[in-house]
This record gives sequence, C-alpha cells and structure tokens, in this order.
Amino acid sequence: MRKKDSAERAAGQPATKVLKDGTTILVAPKPALKKEILRHKDVYLLLLIPFVYYIVFKYVPIFNAQIAFKDFRARDGVLGSAWIGFQNFTDFFSSFYFWELLRNTLMYSIGKILISLPVSIILAIAIYECTHYALRKTVQTLAYLPHFLSWVIMYGVLFALLSPSSGILNDIIKLFGGQPVDFLSSVKAFPWVVLLSDAWKEMGWSAIIFIAALMNIDVTLFEAAMVEGANSWQRVRYITFPSIKPVIVTVLLLKIGTILDAGFNQMYMLYSPQVYSVGDIIDTWVYRQGLLQFEFGLATAVGLFKGVIGMLLVVFSNKLVSKFSEGSSLF
Amino acid sequence: MADKKKTRVHLKPNMHNKAVRPTRADKTFQVCVDVFMVLMLIIILIPLWSTVTLSFRPNTYIGTYLEGMFMAPWDWSFDAYKALLGNNGFVMAFTNSCKILVGGVVSALLLTIPLAYVMSVKSLPGRKVLTTIILIPYVFDVGMIPAYLLVQNIGLMDHLAAVFLPGAISTYNVIIMRQFFDGIPAELKESARIDGCSEVQILIRIVMPLSKAIVMTIGLYYGVSFWNNFFNAMLYIQDSNLNPLPILLRNILMAAGMNEYVEVSAFGNAPIEAIKAASVFMSAIPMVIAYPFIQKYFTKGTMVGAVKG
Repeated sequence: MRKKDSAERAAGQPATKVLKDGTTILVAPKPALKKEILRHKDVYLLLLIPFVYYIVFKYVPIFNAQIAFKDFRARDGVLGSAWIGFQNFTDFFSSFYFWELLRNTLMYSIGKILISLPVSIILAIAIYECTHYALRKTVQTLAYLPHFLSWVIMYGVLFALLSPSSGILNDIIKLFGGQPVDFLSSVKAFPWVVLLSDAWKEMGWSAIIFIAALMNIDVTLFEAAMVEGANSWQRVRYITFPSIKPVIVTVLLLKIGTILDAGFNQMYMLYSPQVYSVGDIIDTWVYRQGLLQFEFGLATAVGLFKGVIGMLLVVFSNKLVSKFSEGSSLF
Repeated sequence: MADKKKTRVHLKPNMHNKAVRPTRADKTFQVCVDVFMVLMLIIILIPLWSTVTLSFRPNTYIGTYLEGMFMAPWDWSFDAYKALLGNNGFVMAFTNSCKILVGGVVSALLLTIPLAYVMSVKSLPGRKVLTTIILIPYVFDVGMIPAYLLVQNIGLMDHLAAVFLPGAISTYNVIIMRQFFDGIPAELKESARIDGCSEVQILIRIVMPLSKAIVMTIGLYYGVSFWNNFFNAMLYIQDSNLNPLPILLRNILMAAGMNEYVEVSAFGNAPIEAIKAASVFMSAIPMVIAYPFIQKYFTKGTMVGAVKG
C-alpha cells in the first residue's frame, strides 16, 4: 500500500518498477495536480460542511482571542475595542492569585497522575491475572461505568457518601464516636476528595489501554518462564510489567501535555467559596472572572496563556513520545 | 478482538492449566489477585449503592443512612421517583436532554464521518494542509471566553443547538475514526472505484457497512458528552424552559437552604435527600441502560484507538 503510494509520488521516474522478488511492474505515472483535484471534486464536496464548521466553531474563537490584547467592551465588539498590548497579561502575572492558581492547578493534575496511574496499572494487571471469569467480567464492566457519569451526577453520588447530614461515611465516623466532617468545605479534606473521586471515576477507563497492551503479550513467554520455574509473582515482575512499560511511559508523557488541565467540570461542581484557597484552578478562575465578573479581556488573556503553554507542552510531549515509541504520537 | 482475548486468556498458564503444578507462591498470588478484585468491586459498588438506597429511603425511616444501605427491598419507597416523574420541570428537562442527545449525535456523526473519511483518502491533493488545519485548534485551545463570544455573535443563545453544536466535531474522535478508515483494505475501495463508484458512493456503500463498530463507539462518545454536558447549557441557556437535565439536577442538588427547600418541596412528600438521589439516578439511567449494549463496541473501538495511540 505505502510502496504503491511512494511510487505514484515519484513523478518523472520511469513508469516501471522492480519489486523485491525481481518482477517488473508497470506503475501509473503521477497525474497532473489539476487533474487530481478534478478527480476528487466530490471528496472536496464531502468536506464542504465540516470545513465551514471548522472555520466557524474552531477558527473564529481563535480570532476572537485577540481581545486578550484589548480593552474589551461588549458595545465595541471584538474588532472595535481598543488595543492595550500586554496589559491584561501583566495584570494577571503580578496579581497575588497567579501563584495560587498555578500551584493548585499543578497540584491537582500531578496528584491525579500520581494516584490514578498506579491504581489503573494494578487494576489492569489484576484483571489480566484473575482466573475467575465472572469476577473478572463484573469488575471490568463496573469499573468502566463511572467514566460515563457526569460530574453533576458524581456530585450527587459524593453527596450520598460524604454529606455531613446524610452521608454514609459520616455515619461510620459517628458509629466510632467521632464528629461528623464536612468533607467538601474543609480545606484539609477537599483536595483528597477531588483526587480520590477522580481516581474512582477514571481508574477503569484508564486501565483499558493497559489491558489492551497486556493482551498483546506473547503467552509463550509465560510458558517458558513456568517451565524454568518462575512463580506468578516473578512472572508479573519480569514479564507482565516490563511488557507494558513502554505503554506506561507513553501515557505518562502524553499526560505532560495536559498538565494545565486540572478538571474544570469536577472542580466547578465540588468547590465552594470556603475552599477557593485550595480548589480554585486556572479554568475556574477564568470562568468566574470572565463570565460572572465580565472581565472578558483579562479572562481571555489567562485562557490564552494557558493555551500557549498547553500547546508547547503537547508538542513537546508528542516529540518525546515519537522519539520513544514509534507510531503512538499525535503527529 | 473479543475472540483473541478469550483464546489468550485461555492459553495463559494459570492454576487451571495443569501442565505445571502451581507452587505455594502461585496460590498466594491467585488469592491476592482475587482479594484485590473483590475489594475493587466493593470500592466501585459502595458509592453507587449508597446513592440508589438513598433514593428509595421512605419519609418514615428512622435508621441511619448507613443502615439504609441494608434496607430490605420491600421497605423501599418509590415516592421520590413518583414525585420526579409527576413534576413538570423534571419531565421538561428530560425531554430537552433527549432532544440535545438526538440532535447532537446525528449532527456530530454527519460532520465527523465525512471529515474522517476525507482525511483517509490518501491520494487527495492538499491532505497534509487539511490535517494541519484540523490539528491546530485541537492543540491550541484558547479557552472559554472566545467561544462564548462566538455563540453570542451568531445568535445561538437560548437555542438547544448551542449545547451540542460547539462540541459537534471532536478532533480526537475524528482521529480515532480516521485510523479505523485507514485500516480498511485499499483494494476494496480501489475495486469500487474501477467499477465507477464516486468517493461519496464508496463511503456509503463500502466503508460504512464495514464501520459499524467504530460508528457505534464514536456515537457513544458523542452521546455521553452531550447527555452529560453541563457547561454549555449553563453558559448558553438562560430560558429555564430549555434547561437540560444536568442543570436541573445541579439546581436540585444545590438546594440546601430553607428558601430553596420550598422550591424543591414542590416535588412532594419524599425526603429531600431521596429526591436528590433519585434525580441523580434518573439522570444516569439512560447511560446505565445503553451501557451494556454498546460496551462490546466501545472496547473494540477503543482498543483499535488505544493500540495505535
């Protein structure tokens, strides 16, 4: 397939090609560009509506992002507002909440990696090693389910679990004679609620990629190891884990690209003014500043800052991935 | 993929494969794995079960909420569900969410399939440029305010379409689908082309029938994202008659103070916690019902995407 393509591309070459086994085949010469375009005119037609969609819904927002450099006033619109250079950016960087937002954002995104990644790896290995068909299927099916629940629903589930008045966790605390804790408005408990609820919701889903990698392990390796006298623990240590190590590194590297995304939906549902000091991340701040305080220019500047850093990180991490493992990067 | 999985697991040496006698360490390992799996099962189930039992809690029940988890099914009260289903606001929000779901999935697939297919036509002049055009907004995310201004400027405010249109093409889904299309043997398309099919006909007659699994998978991804979408509705829908379920659910869940309690108590005589939990369960139920049917497709589809990156 690919060979044929490259042959087509090599215009001006003789119209024959010698294959590996020595046979000579005729290769169609590369058609003129104009002819190619005409031949594909219905393909371009197919592209028309998605293309218009891209311009409107993906590129107009990028164009609108210019208000980061403007003193935006709704009356003047995007084009009519006055340019003010980097004023919005310097305002943000010099403000006291900049470091707090950055710290919280990084704390959650890194914390989520540190907790979810090991949990999902262990879960994947356990699912792979489990010999009870029913147990394996049940855990697999149920573990994927929470991924499909929204954070609004998750908030309701956490309410039944953690609420000081009607949560079962507080019932257990009371059973042992403790004082009920309001987990969602305690500065100490809140980060753990965020990290653990995310791990609970996503562990099954993030395990899928590891399960897929485990399924590709050559089983003869296990048979050989067994004959050589390796026990189950040693087989996991020396065969299973090393075989999925490249996937683990790839996943880890790709996570670097999204390190400024600490989970807007989750945070927006769970946080409250009492826990802003540990719960406010860049995205929630942009939302409040922009759409509740109508500081459009400032909020866009912060969003743009995050977008640029995010883009650099994504490109960087994908470069690393393509260097590390062939064929799993974005580009 | 499913067949392969079965044979692999079957082939893998374990305690049931008596070729080599399991040692004591092997047995301990299996016990540890099983205990871990049961533990996981419990961890996954407890939060779900506590929500479900909370929703069945009768007004007259005096036990703690922990005891409520072990309540006998014949003591369960369906008052909360009756109240929700009899409430106009809830029924309206449910209808709105269904409209968003159907409109969203249809428009998303109609936009995504052609785009992914065109990207997989290898001979297309300008294919590289197209890929770049599609990747730039994916990598460079300018945030919520510019998107908000767009929806405001094109007059989508207070239309249900504003909830799903901004997310109707997810670049990630396009990439997964294109990878699948790339895997369809080129000979099939070529022979159809020689028989005089146009590209559109090839897409409809050759590629689509082969792509059921991926269309179901991507459709599911879109469906979940639209059904769960809370943020777009919060930004773009001000008319409370157009509120989808997640917005109503949030309003119900956040109603804690006395003032709001009056509003929520319009739902009848079930305890307010039961109402909250029941509305959580009702919002999740379409997902839970559809889930087993589509699960086999998404594992297939995701594996394809996962293995290739």
